[in-house]
Amino acid sequence: MTAATEQLSGADGEEQYRTAFGLELAIDQRVSIAGIGHSPGATARPLSRVRMDDGELDRRWEAIDVEPLRARELRFGETLLLSVDFAEPAGYLLWARDFGRVLISPDGLELLCEPDPANADWARLLAAQALPLAATIRGMEVLHASGVVLDGTALLVAGPPGAGKSSLAAALVRAGGQLLSDDAVALELSGDTLIAHAGSVVLQLRSAEDEQLSADERAALGRSLGASGGKQRYLSESAPDPVPLGGVLLLERSADEPAIERLTAVNPFELIGSTFNLSVRTPSRLQRQLDVVSAIASNGLAYRLRVQPDVDATRLAAIVQAQLAVAIS
Amino acid sequence: MTDDRADTSTVSELSDEQLLTVRARLPQHVVHRSFVSETVVLNLRTGKYHGLNPTAGRMLDALETAPTVGDAVPGLAEEYGLEQEQIRRDLLALTRGLLERGLIVTADDSCD
Repeated sequence: MTAATEQLSGADGEEQYRTAFGLELAIDQRVSIAGIGHSPGATARPLSRVRMDDGELDRRWEAIDVEPLRARELRFGETLLLSVDFAEPAGYLLWARDFGRVLISPDGLELLCEPDPANADWARLLAAQALPLAATIRGMEVLHASGVVLDGTALLVAGPPGAGKSSLAAALVRAGGQLLSDDAVALELSGDTLIAHAGSVVLQLRSAEDEQLSADERAALGRSLGASGGKQRYLSESAPDPVPLGGVLLLERSADEPAIERLTAVNPFELIGSTFNLSVRTPSRLQRQLDVVSAIASNGLAYRLRVQPDVDATRLAAIVQAQLAVAIS
Repeated sequence: MTDDRADTSTVSELSDEQLLTVRARLPQHVVHRSFVSETVVLNLRTGKYHGLNPTAGRMLDALETAPTVGDAVPGLAEEYGLEQEQIRRDLLALTRGLLERGLIVTADDSCD
């Protein structure tokens, strides 16, 4: 189990060692990033270095002599919010409005950060986008899902934005689970077994929902980092070690009582649609994406969770735990 | 991204009888995985996914292992309890569709 620290700070050039999304990270001390666990020690994995940019990013990007490929962009109306461009040999240039830029090397081992100086919280871009992208390059398959460790296995909650993934994850944590990640979980296929790696263990809960919680319930979620964007943020005390995947709950809104059904005939494209990062389209990644989805299906790890829009999260967590135990048995 | 569609004029020029005598196989840049609900075929060059219903997925398996397209017909007819003529029609239609999309090639074609 690895401790998750809120702030890293120190002298220029020093590094601290962390682990997230299956990456062993050496992070520049000047980068303040919450919810990334301490590295448990040396592993066979090579280090991915997160560095503050000193002009190298522009030098590398301007040195390319090919037209960059726009691998991904996200817009709100006409406004561009996020883009990912790729060009050899520089790599993937991630840009997010009000956050800054991160250049990720083609092998995923170096991340050069050029923060937006007006945003003290810019490093959230790392946990939200840059590290999942680097993990995908390094051979992980990242699912857009909340994750909780229950009884030694990872239970992931996937579904469209606003479906209640974080609410259910928070309720499962209050019921004794340990947060694996709020928004993205890295999966590694080891033989026929899927291993889930912790991402960022900062839980974001809608403020309206947070206000309904008691002090004890809030304490169970971790240390408060305050509110941002209408959401209350909690930092878990520690990030769990990698654990086998126990199940993926695919959330679906329903008028009926909450119910879990093990999917014997899961729609593979629904699982493919739950994968996090579509910027990396190399043949090896595409095949891995399909292999991971196939392993989820063939190991019987996909479940449909039908929930009413206004269901109480605490009650839902109790139903999930009870029905999941029956479904697995 | 490249368009891996086969030369459709070449495929369409093959008569049904000619097509039944060719050997079909997957090029190295095409992989597929079978799920209960469907078979997903992925072209690694284009990044494009294709879905086949379970019957078409089973036919693709048969095409991969049979010496010729025609040789796959009797086994499939027996498996599904259908007349060979019906299976032959369906298999030819599927084969043409897969060839046009570059998801299978004939044994004479280059590998990649």
